[in-house]
This record gives sequence, structure tokens and C-alpha cells, in this order.
Amino acid sequence: MTYKRGSAVIPAGKLLALGFTLAVLLIFSITVFAAPKRVATAKPGNCAACHGQEKVFSPSHVDTKEMAYKDCLGCHEKTGPQKLQGKLPGSHLHRLRDINCEKCHGKAKKAGEVKMKQCLTCHDADKLAEKTAKVKPENPHTSPHYGTSLDCNLCHHQHQKSENYCNQCHKYDFTVP
Amino acid sequence: MKDDTEEKGGLTRRGFLKSTGGAAAVAGMTVGGLAVGTGEAAAATGPMPKKWNETYDVVVIGSGFAGLAAAIEAKNAGASAVVIEKMAVHGGNSIINGGDFCAPGTKLQKEAGVQDSPDLMYNDMMKAGLYLNHPELARTVADQAKDALEWCENYIGAKFTRLNFHGGHSVKRANQTANASGSEVVNKMLGKARALGIEVQTRTKMVRFIANKDGRIVGIEVRTGYKFPDEKSGKTAYIKARKAVILTSGGFSEDLKLRQIEDPRLTDKFGTTNQPGATGEALLAACMAGAMDVQMDWIQLGPWTSPDEKGFGHVPLFCERLVGYGPMIDPVKGKRFFKETGNRKERADAIILLGHPVIIMGDSYSVPKQVFPRALEKGLESGAVKKFDTLEALAKNYNIPLSALQQEIARWNSFVEKKKDDDFDCMIFKDARPTAAPPFYAARLWPKVHHTMGGLVIDKNAQVFGLDFKPLKGLYAAGEVTGGVHGAVRLGGVAMADCLVFGRIAGKNAAKEKSWG
Ligand SMILES: Cc1cc2nc3c(=O)[nH]c(=O)nc-3n(C[C@H](O)[C@H](O)[C@H](O)COP(=O)(O)OP(=O)(O)OC[C@H]3O[C@@H](n4cnc5c(N)ncnc54)[C@H](O)[C@@H]3O)c2cc1C
Ligand code: HEC
Ligand code: HEC
Ligand code: HEC
Ligand code: HEC
Ligand code: HEC
Ligand code: HEC
Repeated sequence: MTYKRGSAVIPAGKLLALGFTLAVLLIFSITVFAAPKRVATAKPGNCAACHGQEKVFSPSHVDTKEMAYKDCLGCHEKTGPQKLQGKLPGSHLHRLRDINCEKCHGKAKKAGEVKMKQCLTCHDADKLAEKTAKVKPENPHTSPHYGTSLDCNLCHHQHQKSENYCNQCHKYDFTVP
Repeated sequence: MKDDTEEKGGLTRRGFLKSTGGAAAVAGMTVGGLAVGTGEAAAATGPMPKKWNETYDVVVIGSGFAGLAAAIEAKNAGASAVVIEKMAVHGGNSIINGGDFCAPGTKLQKEAGVQDSPDLMYNDMMKAGLYLNHPELARTVADQAKDALEWCENYIGAKFTRLNFHGGHSVKRANQTANASGSEVVNKMLGKARALGIEVQTRTKMVRFIANKDGRIVGIEVRTGYKFPDEKSGKTAYIKARKAVILTSGGFSEDLKLRQIEDPRLTDKFGTTNQPGATGEALLAACMAGAMDVQMDWIQLGPWTSPDEKGFGHVPLFCERLVGYGPMIDPVKGKRFFKETGNRKERADAIILLGHPVIIMGDSYSVPKQVFPRALEKGLESGAVKKFDTLEALAKNYNIPLSALQQEIARWNSFVEKKKDDDFDCMIFKDARPTAAPPFYAARLWPKVHHTMGGLVIDKNAQVFGLDFKPLKGLYAAGEVTGGVHGAVRLGGVAMADCLVFGRIAGKNAAKEKSWG
């Protein structure tokens, strides 16, 4: 799955000029019109405020505009197949819990890289490893190689699909939030 | 190509490359888009930059055992040092290794009453290496392994708590780390390096060496912010090495192109036990800068790995504990095909010759008795090890002709009874019993690429050789990127000894170099 970002968008006209096939153009033009905006002031449940007309879920989905994370849980419990983990970017899971852009990026004009140190201002790596000790097939938060010091951002991404760093060498079927 | 006729200390480059098989490797790189042989010798190294982004006395490439040991020793000898690492995380193969460190005359050996000596270790290394080892290098490792191990314990603070045996050694001499992983040593070395003020810059990839007009290595070109394996990622920067560059970039097991040049059998049919960054571009960059390579086609495969799990996995622990207790079967014929207790190379070659995975099996006597419970449990969990109530079920699962299998098991069992294998001379252990008691356990085996014995030629000072047989000024190397220490076969547990011994030597000697500017 690739996520769309404002910065990576190519104007449809340019593509045409480059002579791409119609099929490619179609895919790209959908991207162009659907690219979500990062409206920092939008309520986290107000999907349309950033996504516009893009379908983030089916039209019959309950209106989430005023909802916070705990309100989603009734239908999207964390242990079931409907869980939101792995389906929403990390920034969404945070914002739904009232962790806004600034709490990670600070007040910098142009948001950029966020160091692991910043994650550790709210999360405790050792406590986390205890919490996920029973996750199968292995605990993602500790390993014989890296202990609890592995950079969170190698797995958890806030604006892209998260990854499973261990799977370079193992085959652990984690859902990485 | 003008290059062909250019004299380099009496040897033409082409003549040399031909003789080592390196020519094809370099040709492969040309396809990959690197400018090679465009005429000037300088084309093989980068041009002198107008401005260096950073300057250190010693620049170390690679953050495994060899690199960290080199940086620490260089710093302790008074040089400023930096370690660059192309991956997002430090440690290379060293941080995922099994933590077995072979050294003679250690504390653990004394406690276990094992008699050992540097001479005995040297002889074992030479014998396994088919005497292709460069004797001076093998000798250096055997003589200094104990000191290197004690340095890890006393100075670095790593703990070694178990003594293990590995095939090919005359005695138990593998001192294993407390957590059964090389990470015990790597992470403590990293802590030490940081405490000494040595920075380890991850996501920084060495692209090219930079030499001055005399051919002395003076620095490197890197890409910072590099995201493996995206070759377009990152930005170009130049790091100046006032005294020397130390290349400790590890082996090239994951380098499909290079390893197939050296051993054409090793296509993508073969996975590896290595980290994905174990590729050879840094080694080749050194060759392009005039370094000599040796024994590049001695590439070790582990015969004990499984195609049903990723990487090293759990099957090696299942297989190696079962050989000498249960048979290894070719599923197509339902027959044994090779000596189960043969060495790594013989067994891997035999399986490759068959061309398809084989089976190792045991029963409810041998398996629980021999295999570590955790390895068995994890293997069963992942499905790489399977359990069957009957021989019929086992045969059906692997598509083995049943009657052939039944006959072969009966034959094997008769050998076990008399403790002598008339077919392949497998070593049958005293406490082995016929494979007859259900449930049966089995796993498929298909070799994976494990270690590259060959690499850069170094002398006993860890100084890299040039094509003119003289030291290539300003360049040292240590660890799996070098060749010659192990000859044809690297014995279990000797890589750690090699990396730590030569890493330290490289660091100390690099610090002693005179600054060029
Ligand atoms: C699964 C496994 C188990 C093993 N178990 C044992 C054991 O128990 N005992 C034993 O003695 N040996 C063992 N070995 C072998 C041993 O671990 C390795 O030979 C050893 O770790 C090599 O160390 P090194 O420092 O030379 O290289 P590495 O530890 O591989 O480090 C080299 C580093 O250089 C980096 N690098 C490469 N190219 C570049 C570049 N262009 N720019 C920047 N950085 C670069 C790599 O990413 C890597 O991090 C094992 C190997 C494996 C794979
Ligand atoms: C009343 C129950 C209910 C509530 C509350 C609810 N959802 Fe849903 N959600 C569903 C159902 C049912 C589906 C599946 C069908 C669909 O897409 O409408 C779904 C689907 C989704 C999907 C698409 C999942 C996929 O598999 O692609 C997302 C994303 C989602 N919901 C997010 C949220 C968020 C975020 C909240 C809280 C702000 C929320 N939902 C609250 C019932 C609910
Ligand atoms: C939980 C912490 C966190 C939150 C909350 C967060 N970000 Fe980020 N952001 C990151 C991280 C980490 C990166 C680095 C790239 C990555 O890992 O996805 C990043 C990168 C960025 C970047 C630059 C790179 C890129 O991906 O385009 C921008 C711009 C950005 N964030 C904007 C925002 C905005 C706007 C919000 C609020 C809507 C936000 N971020 C909320 C952690 C966060
Ligand atoms: C300002 C505080 C804060 C910061 C900074 C922060 N988080 Fe969180 N994060 C939270 C809270 C609160 C939760 C929800 C409760 C929980 O699971 O701990 C959460 C949840 C998470 C979750 C679980 C999401 C889910 O729904 O399962 C992940 C993964 C996560 N954070 C990763 C990160 C990473 C990676 C960073 C750094 C880039 C980071 N966090 C930075 C506060 C923060
Ligand atoms: C190797 C990949 C990986 C790394 C590195 C990693 N995580 Fe996670 N994380 C996971 C996975 C997988 C889960 C989901 C576990 C589960 O299934 O419950 C998770 C879950 C979480 C959760 C939710 C835990 C819960 O059950 O409430 C938080 C919070 C979190 N991670 C934060 C972090 C932080 C902070 C770091 C860095 C210190 C980090 N993670 C590093 C893979 C990783
Ligand atoms: C503050 C603006 C904002 C809000 C509010 C928002 N999103 Fe997003 N969403 C984005 C952006 C921007 C991206 C692209 C990835 C990134 O940068 O985080 C994105 C990406 C996604 C993706 C992944 C895109 C893909 O193609 O798979 C999903 C799913 C998603 N959002 C669902 C939702 C849902 C559901 C809601 C409402 C509950 C929501 N978003 C609310 C801005 C927002
Ligand atoms: C670069 C390759 C690599 C990466 C990345 C990696 N591992 Fe490993 N891991 C290995 C190797 C090799 C072994 C030893 C053999 C085996 O058990 O597969 C191992 C062993 C283990 C073991 C011990 C297995 C046992 O049964 O005793 C655990 C637990 C483990 N790894 C967890 C992890 C976790 C969690 C991650 C991600 C945070 C991870 N590893 C990332 C290569 C890797």
C-alpha cells in the first residue's frame, strides 16, 4: 500500500506531456485529486476535512466527525479483525487520542524527521516490552540483538504504512500499528 | 580499454584480474553503471573533492565486530575515529551471530579440563582450510585469539558463560556469550565506543575511495541519509582520513551478482543466513582503488538450513543435533544419499547436486533427547519442523515412495544396531537407537549461503595489499571482507576470533600512520 502525500503529487498535465499511457495517467490522476491535506486544525474524526471526497470508508459508515479513539473502539475493538491498527497511519491513531502534530514535531515551521527520543517522552521502552511480552510469535519490543533500544521509527511510521523490521530475517506475522 | 596496457608495478591490471576471476566481477559492476576502466587510473577512485565535509584521523567502514574493535583501538592509540554504517542499525552480521568465539587456553576451557593450545587451533584451521590459508594470518588469529577474548571480557565487559563444540575442531573451544548472540559483544563495544567519543553514523554508505596522485588512500565518498537498498537515496559527502581508512564491511553472501560470478551455482535458488546488507560493493571499491583480492570463490553454505523458514532459523539446531541419530533422505528416491555427519561443505555440495531439498528425520526417542526444547517448539510452531504419527503420513507429506522409504529405514536401523554404516560411513553415536518409535519428526533441508571466506589480501599488520604486492598506502582491512585467514573452510566460531584479532590490529596500526595532510 502506498500513501499519497501532497509533496509527491505530479500534476496531471505534466504527465500527459510525458506521454504516459492512459492507464498510468488514470491511476495518477486519481492520486492527484484524492491527495489528503494535512489540515493541522481539523478534528481527527473529521476525515473529510483532510481527505475531501476520497472514500476512507464506505458511505454507510457512521459519522465520525466528533469522535475520539475511545468512540471507535465500540465497533473496532483492538483484539478483533475490525481493529484499526495497521489500517490507519500512526499519526491518525495518535491524533484520535488527542496527540496533535506539535507534540511530535514541536513548533518548527516545517515538520520533518522525529527522533526516537521524542517518542520516549511519552512511551517507556522497557514498560512497553513488558506489555507486549506475550505477543506471538515473539515480542516485537525486545530481541536478543537489540534489546529494547531499537528505533521505534524502523517499524512504526506516522505517515506511511508501518513495517515489520524483524521480517528482514524472520517471518513474524505482526500487525504493526 | 587503455587500462589493459597500463602498468601497475609490473603487473597489468587485466593480467591480474584474469588470474583471480576479479575481472568478471568488475565487468559486472560496469553493467551496474559504475565507471570502470575509462582510461585513467584515477577513474577507479573518486576525484579529490574541493571540500571535505568531515575530517578524522581514522575512518572505519562497517559497524560489526571488526569495525568497532578497530575504532576503539585507534581511539585508544590517540587517533580521532568515526565509524560509518550503511544500514539503519549498527551491527551487521555480528549482531545476529550465535556468539561462539573460538580461542585456545581460555578460562572456560580450564574449568572444563580441556587441554588446548594455539598450535592445536592453528592446525585445525589449516586442515579444515585445505591448507589454502595464508599461514601467517591463520597463525596470528590462533596466537592472539585468547588475548582478544580476554579484551572482550575485561575491557569491553562482555560475558562468556558456556563452552561449545564445533565440527572440525579437535577440542571444545567455542566460548559462547551469555545471551548466545554476538550482540553481547557488539552492543557493549558500541557502548564503549560512544563513551570514548566515537560516533557511529548509520545510514551512511561508502561509495568510493579517494586517492591522491600517488595512489595513497586519503578519504572516502559517502552517501549520508542513505536508505538501504535505494541507491538513489541520500546525499553525497566526503570524509577525509588523515591517517587511514579501515575497511570492515563484512562478507558478500547477500550479493547475488558477485557471488554468482565467483560460484555460478549460487543463484537466487539459495537464500542466506545473513543480514540483507551483506553485499560486496565496498570490497569491489577497494579492488577498483588497486587492492588485491583472494579466494573469492570459496563461499560457505550451511547444509542445515530449511527452505521453510527465513534466514538462519531453527532447523539448523534440529538438524545438527540429529545427525548420527537419524537418517537424511532424498525424498524423490526414498533413499539416503550422503554421510549425515560429513562436513558443511561435503553435505551442502551433495544436496546441491541432487538439485532439490532433502529430509532429516528422527523419532520420539532421538528428537526429545537431542533437540533443545525451545528450538523444537519454535520449529513446530513455524511449520519448518513437522510431526507425524506414522511413517506413512510422513512419506505422504513429502511425496516419498513409501515402500522404498520403509526399506531404507529398515536398512539404516540395521546399521544403527551394529553401530556401523555400510553405505556412507556415517558416524553413529553410541546412544543412538533405530528410528522406529512414533511420532516421527522431520524437516526439509536446502543449503543457504552463510560465509564468504575470500576477500581482500592483507598482511599480518592488517594492511591491504595492492596489485603491486606492496601495501596499499592508507588502507587497512579486517574481518569477513578479508581473505586468506580461513582458506577453503571457515570453522565454526573462528570468525569472531578473526574479526576481533585483526580489527584490533588494524585500529592500532592505522593510528600509527603519519598524517598526510
Ligand atoms: C546467522 C549467523 C551466525 C553466525 N554465528 C557465528 C558464530 O557463532 N561464531 C563465529 O565465529 N561466527 C559466526 N558467524 C559469522 C560471523 O558472525 C561473521 O563472519 C562476522 O560477524 C563478520 O563480522 P565483520 O565485522 O567482518 O562484518 P559485519 O558484522 O557483517 O559488519 C560489516 C558492516 O559493514 C556494513 N557495510 C557493508 N558495506 C558497506 C558500505 N558500502 N558502506 C558502509 N557500511 C557498509 C554492513 O552493513 C555491516 O553492518 C555467523 C554468521 C551468521 C550470519
Ligand atoms: C457504529 C460502529 C462504528 C463506529 C463507531 C466506527 N466504525 Fe469504522 N467501521 C465500522 C464498520 C461496520 C466498518 C466496515 C464497513 C465500512 O467500511 O463501513 C468500518 C470500517 C472502517 C474503516 C475501513 C476499514 C478497512 O478495513 O478498510 C476505517 C478506517 C474506520 N472504520 C475507521 C473508524 C474510525 C477512525 C472510527 C472512530 C473515529 C470508527 N471507524 C468508528 C463501524 C464503525
Ligand atoms: C506520533 C508522532 C507524530 C505525529 C502526531 C505527527 N507526526 Fe509528522 N512525522 C512523524 C515522524 C516520525 C516523521 C518522519 C517520517 C515518518 O516516519 O513517517 C514525520 C514526518 C512529517 C513530515 C515530513 C515528512 C513527510 O512524511 O512528509 C511532515 C510534513 C509531517 N510529519 C507533518 C505532520 C502533521 C501536519 C501532523 C499532524 C496532522 C503530524 N505530522 C503528526 C511523527 C509524527
Ligand atoms: C505526546 C505523547 C506522545 C508522543 C510524543 C508519542 N506518542 Fe505514541 N502514543 C501516545 C498515546 C497517549 C498513545 C495511546 C496509548 C498507548 O497505547 O500508549 C500512543 C500510542 C502509540 C502507538 C499504538 C497505537 C495503537 O493504536 O495501537 C504506537 C505504535 C505509538 N504510540 C508509537 C509512537 C511513536 C513511534 C512515537 C514517536 C515517533 C510516538 N508514539 C510518540 C502518546 C505519544
Ligand atoms: C520491530 C518492530 C517494532 C519496533 C522497533 C517498535 N514496535 Fe511498537 N509495536 C510493534 C508491534 C508489532 C506492535 C503490536 C503488538 C501487538 O500485536 O499487540 C506494537 C505495539 C506498540 C504499541 C501499542 C502497545 C499496546 O498494546 O498498547 C505502542 C504504544 C508501541 N508499539 C510503541 C512503540 C515505541 C514507542 C517504540 C520505540 C521505543 C516501538 N513501539 C518500537 C512493533 C514495533
Ligand atoms: C488532519 C488531516 C487528516 C484527517 C483529519 C484525517 N486524515 Fe487520513 N490521512 C491524512 C493524510 C495527510 C494522509 C497521508 C498519510 C499521512 O501523511 O499521514 C492520510 C492517510 C490516510 C489513510 C491511508 C491512505 C491510504 O491510501 O491507504 C487512511 C486509511 C486514512 N487516512 C483514513 C482516515 C480516516 C478514516 C479519517 C477520519 C477518521 C482520517 N483519515 C482523517 C490526513 C488526514
Ligand atoms: C538482520 C537479521 C535479523 C533481524 C533484523 C532480526 N533478527 Fe532475530 N535473529 C536473527 C538470527 C540469525 C537469529 C539466530 C537464529 C534464529 O533463531 O533464527 C535470530 C534469533 C532471534 C531470536 C531467538 C530465537 C530463538 O528461538 O531462540 C529472537 C527472539 C529474535 N531473533 C527476535 C527478533 C526480533 C523481535 C527482531 C525485530 C526487532 C529480530 N529478531 C530481528 C536475525 C535477525
